[in-house]
Amino acid sequence: MSGPAQFRKNVKISERHGAGEWALERVALLALMPLGLWVASSAFTLAGAGYDTVAAWFANTLNAGLAIATAVIFCLFGALAWKVIVEDYVHKPASKGLCLFLVNLVFFALAAASVFFIVRLALGSAPLPAGIGA
Amino acid sequence: MSNTPQPGSPTADRTGRFVNQPNGRVRPLSPHLQTWRWHVTMTASILFRVTIGAASFGALFALGWVFAVASGPEAYAGLLAFAGSPLGLLIAFGLTVVLFSFTLNGGRHLINDTGNGLTLKSAVLLSNIAVWGPIPLAILFWVVLFATGRVSL
Repeated sequence: MSGPAQFRKNVKISERHGAGEWALERVALLALMPLGLWVASSAFTLAGAGYDTVAAWFANTLNAGLAIATAVIFCLFGALAWKVIVEDYVHKPASKGLCLFLVNLVFFALAAASVFFIVRLALGSAPLPAGIGA
Repeated sequence: MSNTPQPGSPTADRTGRFVNQPNGRVRPLSPHLQTWRWHVTMTASILFRVTIGAASFGALFALGWVFAVASGPEAYAGLLAFAGSPLGLLIAFGLTVVLFSFTLNGGRHLINDTGNGLTLKSAVLLSNIAVWGPIPLAILFWVVLFATGRVSL
């Protein structure tokens, strides 16, 4: 396990990686606060907009960059938050391991697919289905 | 333990609370949810987990939207037609409620995580904002959308 318990300001420091995950989840949530407001304002701008407007919106590097940041950070937060929920309710090691694997897989796939589509739109790639790089 | 009653036994189990515990022993079910008075801080806490679940599901709609745009004008026109239908508008309204709920409740969680806002008064105030705030915000969002003509039935 680990050596003798260590303390900082009389508070015991976590022996393994639990505290790091907790802090990372808060940092991700903190980053999602302004991004959430940005998503709301973007949704307001793009509601009912035509294809050309939306395509031009994605061609803007700032919009595409913030969209990618939102997708990646949300998936990071989602995976960590679902991990806590799974750990609260699933106790058998095998079931817990399977659930955590599925959670990570789903959020990784979600992030990867989002980034793939947004990058294509930012680069002005031909509509899908098309050859990669078309 | 000869005096341990069987679960539900009408003669021995006078409390009606003896159950087979997961460890195989017969013990009274410890009081849990039924002893807690429902409070708004509890609602906000539970609702944040619900919101995270709903936001995870809502992310699939966002992915579908990006996929439709990346698939060209025809696919996007199809998505726009669905989004303008009553079901599409209902889903879109739900997504805005989830977005505002996530932001307000996440903000409450972050404030409480730093050790602030934990007096009874401020914890209740923050929870009330997190629980009820998303509904007027989402309604206002859609009223302005309809009023400015961006969305119409």
